[in-house]
Amino acid sequence: MGRRATAYCLILPSFLLAAFIVLWPLKEIINLALHDVNRFGLLRAFSGLANFRTLFADPDFLAALWRTLVWTAGVVGGTLAVSVPVALMLNGDFYGRGAARVIVMLPWAVSLTMTAIVWRWALSGESGMLNSGLRGLGLIDGNIQWLAEASTAFPMQILIGIEASIPFTTTILLGGLSSVPDELYDAAAIEGAGAWDQFRFITLPLLRPFINIAVVLNTIYVFNSFPIIWATTQGGPANSTDILVTYLYKAGFRLGKLGEAAAVSLIMFGVLLVFTLIYVRLAMREEAA
Amino acid sequence: MKQSGVKALLLACAGLLALSGTADAGTVRVTIAEYSKGTGPYFNEAAQAFEAANPGTKIQIEVVPWDNLQQKLTTDISAGANADLSIIGTRWLLDYVSQGIITPLDAHVTPDFKGRFIDTFLKPSVMDGKVYGLPIAASARALYYNKDVFAKAGLSGPPGTWAEFTAGAEKIKASVPGVFAFGLQGKEIETDVYFYYALWSQGGEIVQGGKSGLGSAAAVAAAKLYRSYINGGLTQPGVTSYSREDVQNLFKQGKVATVITAPFLSSQIKNEAPNLQYGVAAIPAGPGGARGTYGVTDSIVLFENSKVKEEAWKFLDFLFTTDQRTKFDKIEGFLPVNVKEASDPYFADNADLKVFTSLLPGARFAPVIAGWEEVATVTSNALQTVYLGRAEIEPTLRDAAAKADEILAKK
Repeated sequence: MGRRATAYCLILPSFLLAAFIVLWPLKEIINLALHDVNRFGLLRAFSGLANFRTLFADPDFLAALWRTLVWTAGVVGGTLAVSVPVALMLNGDFYGRGAARVIVMLPWAVSLTMTAIVWRWALSGESGMLNSGLRGLGLIDGNIQWLAEASTAFPMQILIGIEASIPFTTTILLGGLSSVPDELYDAAAIEGAGAWDQFRFITLPLLRPFINIAVVLNTIYVFNSFPIIWATTQGGPANSTDILVTYLYKAGFRLGKLGEAAAVSLIMFGVLLVFTLIYVRLAMREEAA
Repeated sequence: MKQSGVKALLLACAGLLALSGTADAGTVRVTIAEYSKGTGPYFNEAAQAFEAANPGTKIQIEVVPWDNLQQKLTTDISAGANADLSIIGTRWLLDYVSQGIITPLDAHVTPDFKGRFIDTFLKPSVMDGKVYGLPIAASARALYYNKDVFAKAGLSGPPGTWAEFTAGAEKIKASVPGVFAFGLQGKEIETDVYFYYALWSQGGEIVQGGKSGLGSAAAVAAAKLYRSYINGGLTQPGVTSYSREDVQNLFKQGKVATVITAPFLSSQIKNEAPNLQYGVAAIPAGPGGARGTYGVTDSIVLFENSKVKEEAWKFLDFLFTTDQRTKFDKIEGFLPVNVKEASDPYFADNADLKVFTSLLPGARFAPVIAGWEEVATVTSNALQTVYLGRAEIEPTLRDAAAKADEILAKK
């Protein structure tokens, strides 16, 4: 009992700080979402769930909600598919490994907004690097207008998202790989296991907790990620590349509908809360194991 | 030890409070939109000059990128942490006035002071007979055309009507490969404005009698015109990926033969593409002879909650002296708002600017309606759908007009 009380006492200050940082804004946002709010944040009449009803009646919002799921799944899945092989290679011993690791980590050092703006130039239809590169290789005859339509813009945005998420994910996976003892591979090789079997039966199971963490953390980051889509298309043309954050930004700051914007952010908070709970469960299960 | 630490912390806090207290006394905070690289340096220099002439008053300039201005103001105002003076888009003025956030300047605006301004530019900042802001930046739009391309296509001068424009564009397409005749903007801020040029020439209006003009026959004709340019290969491909700056860049690179934009393109061309042979002309007229250009002003406003209104006004007075205005407008490439300034040889003998000033009598400003940004967004979205060829023109515009009407009726 005494020990427990001490523990709680020690946790209390940081808990209070966290509560102040998280719960107070949350209360404010709930308040905004339930009121008719003017563009400068002044509360007018209590409006109940009217803001939420307006949102769910807006086809652009529903499309953005769905697109956010595609975006998150696409970026997180793609990142993982690239990062696992990259981490395996970087974990191996070869000449110039240090340099290779630095190169893979480099995109991390560039701010996300800058990355996105550079890509916006690269994807420009008439003077972009990508088109001139593809033309030089003889892969295309005419220029492709990458950002003119969602059908080309959105996949490119997902690719940019993947590129930006690889360094972080690779770091987590490299940490995981370094904890796998080499003796296991030696023993497996003696038993006659090939490279694929070693990967399937040794690497992957031991890497699983790290992959889980990478998935959950990336999901949280990517779900909330604003710069890539904003800098390349601002969610356009005609809202066809909007995700929830860009929808929220436009509603709040361009159109001055702070009540609706607050409602969107609550919905996003709800979705992310579920993911955070999963994260906590994963972390605990790993601790128990 | 612990106690002395707490004490030190408290002292530090008290010190900070005291410091901020003294800073408040004679400090005027000014939020400035960044129009170009020269904006910040100009205002800092002006602030220094003002401080030297008015000891005891400090001017604190905060420069914000244009795209973030509205966001910064919204958050600052809702937190009560806004500056004393700020630049705002004049089209936002109504929201600010109706919420009582800014204060009228009439106590200070003498007839003499009013006489400094060209009336066309002061008028948009006047509401219910009260002056709520001063035009810090003014601009209008005209047609830029590439003289070399026009000569190669055998065109003698700029087109007077859209019919002439179409004929000329076909010639450019046929005889100048690699150059697109019409730079059409289809992305981001002012996508809707680029359409209004055609709308006005067809005799249409953005808002008429409280109703959106987007569903009108004129709007449909205007949309059909632009769509025929897209389909006929007379514009750059993929117009929905080109913002205003992107289209201007194409013009500077000589890749589009015409673009409709503001005077500041002239100064950009002077710096970035000095060899480009270009001319400036009125935006083409429609079949009935109607034409219109877009006039824009940004206003500098004084906030109601400012504690240093007297000092702030003095700074405004200083900013709108002929010398300061001339300096600023030369740096930014804006139109003169000041009568005396306009007679400065730099403006009076500038062929490009003469075209712009000659168009001012017919200039239309963004309509003063609450929720204007939302109407503009609805319009831009509908236009992007039309430009992409995703839907039939008439029903798309009619739907957008219905949405706009709903917004207009709500406020």
